Amino acid sequence: MGGYRCIRATPGGTLVAAVIAFILFGIGVLALVLRRDLVIKLLALGLVNAATILFLVSIGDRPGAKAPIQLPGEVAILADPLPHALVLSAIVVNFAILALALVFVMILVERYHTTDSTRIEQEMDRETDEEETPCL
Amino acid sequence: MPLILLPLVRFVFAILTISFAKARKAFAILSHVVDAALLGHLLMLLVRGAPTSITIGGAPIGIGISMIGDQIGLTFAVLAWVLSVAITSYTWKDRLRPYFFLLLNLLIGACYALSFTTDLFTTFLLLDLSTLVSFLLVGYQRRPRQIWASLHYMILSSLGMSVFLIGIGVVYSHCGCLDLVVLESLLSESLGEPWLHLAGALLVAGLAVKAGVFTFSLWLPSAHARAMPAVSALLSGLVIKMGVVGLLRLGFVFPIDLPLIVLGAITGILGIVYALNSYDIKRLLAFHTLSQIGYILIGFGAHTEVARLGALSYEVAHGLFKALLFLTIGEAASHAGGSNLKTLIENRQQIPHGTRIALMIAVLGIIGLPPLAGFDAKAILEDGLASVPLHLIVLLISIGTVMSFAKLTPVLFSRSTCKTTRSRILSYAWLGGGIVLFWPLSLLLVSPGINLHALTAPHIAEAFVVIALGAALYLLIRKKRFQLPLEIFRLETSPLMILLGFFLVYGLLAIGR
Repeated sequence: MGGYRCIRATPGGTLVAAVIAFILFGIGVLALVLRRDLVIKLLALGLVNAATILFLVSIGDRPGAKAPIQLPGEVAILADPLPHALVLSAIVVNFAILALALVFVMILVERYHTTDSTRIEQEMDRETDEEETPCL
Repeated sequence: MPLILLPLVRFVFAILTISFAKARKAFAILSHVVDAALLGHLLMLLVRGAPTSITIGGAPIGIGISMIGDQIGLTFAVLAWVLSVAITSYTWKDRLRPYFFLLLNLLIGACYALSFTTDLFTTFLLLDLSTLVSFLLVGYQRRPRQIWASLHYMILSSLGMSVFLIGIGVVYSHCGCLDLVVLESLLSESLGEPWLHLAGALLVAGLAVKAGVFTFSLWLPSAHARAMPAVSALLSGLVIKMGVVGLLRLGFVFPIDLPLIVLGAITGILGIVYALNSYDIKRLLAFHTLSQIGYILIGFGAHTEVARLGALSYEVAHGLFKALLFLTIGEAASHAGGSNLKTLIENRQQIPHGTRIALMIAVLGIIGLPPLAGFDAKAILEDGLASVPLHLIVLLISIGTVMSFAKLTPVLFSRSTCKTTRSRILSYAWLGGGIVLFWPLSLLLVSPGINLHALTAPHIAEAFVVIALGAALYLLIRKKRFQLPLEIFRLETSPLMILLGFFLVYGLLAIGR
């Protein structure tokens, strides 16, 4: 595990994985902006989250490192396990948010019969406060 | 130990509330009494000069979950407790499901923990917990607009948290630790390095999405305006402050003063411009949340001890009057039949007398009438500002605040025979009392010397000039309508605005080196 007494001369991680994560993040944001379908938007959000997770996993890597499981008597360079532990929590949180968002989309689809974000906004603008009855 | 107990007790009460729904009112009282005892203990330790700190899980400092009961943490935790009491009292007679109280307890517990934590990854997790609960609270009544606002909030917040997490990754890959206290000493030697700018920009952008900063938090006007009053009060008074406390703690480690000042000025001025053009009062209050965050960011960015204390005081003051504004406007709207200004004015006789008095105190508080909360906190903040342009920006925001609240004048004065419930009066008295007695209460936070300076003649004169000028300018422009771009608040555009904000912060960090 990396000590924190000094700034590392060369930061941990692989460049290739970081570049792939950056590209995936960009694709995710583009889809989030350009696509109007709410389900596609949530998939794009999933891609953004996956890119972040890939980046975090990549920073635990070191040249020639093995998985961080040290057998008795073995001396080996191990990957930093802390980013991997962080990633586990992040995956759970992202899953929870995505699941909840999908439930919200489902409620909106039941009401407006479309997944198109612009049409949902237009329909909502047409409704007056009195007409706006609770969903479910 | 009290540092861990405070959030944990709330989480236990959350489970008890949903398991034994009939006893939820007793649990609500008990939870606040226990919290008060724990907070009192922590305050005593702080006054004695020995703030508590703890690292959970046996991991070394820098990697484990670290918490500290310092002045900043306790200020935010006490604010959370005060607002929790007010919301519990406000909703006492409402027929809310036990699920609401479960969410309320979880939210307050998360806010306690967020106030004290100095670990970046714990901040990420707790911010996610608080926002997950906020999504559910915004959509509590299951109205389509609430669910839409909540979905918007969810998507932008998740994007922001991803950016924050990448920032955490960059910091960890260079330093091998995530604790802000350790990072403070570690990074003091490497200021000016390019990776530090990247990490700073990512972390600031991620937190700004939660903190109610313009270009980042464009989910805020619809979420705060469409949620039910008790929820809006909590979101505006407390939840966005959790992003702000993160920015404040980050400011001790990363050289983010210039970005904070620029973001503060943009947020303050644009918040006012949009508020002036809003005639739905709940939406107006939501835009004012943005504008008031502008003051706080400028105070933190000014990098003087007095300005920081002023910004901290303003955090508390804003929490009090914005919660009271949302609660009173919410009740007024339910009596008058809508939160549109025209409806409120037409049906003002329906608004209960007690509600109107509370609304008046909150309005006087936010426009900065001496010696109420807004005036005192703003005066301390201004004392800490060294440069003239910053003074001018603060003055501009103050005048704009008066101009936009001048719209409410007809609502404040009318006769009414309606009455409100006793529990709501208690809630208004609790928050209103805090606004009126803010000056003596703030002695707990600010030293008497600084606090006395806030009550001097120049500050009092300035406050009255600002109020007079704001009222006069409102009379001049009240018939005019402006077309402001509302496209930026759409779900398609706001992610781009977050990225734009990130590049702005990165550019400012690179310039400021």
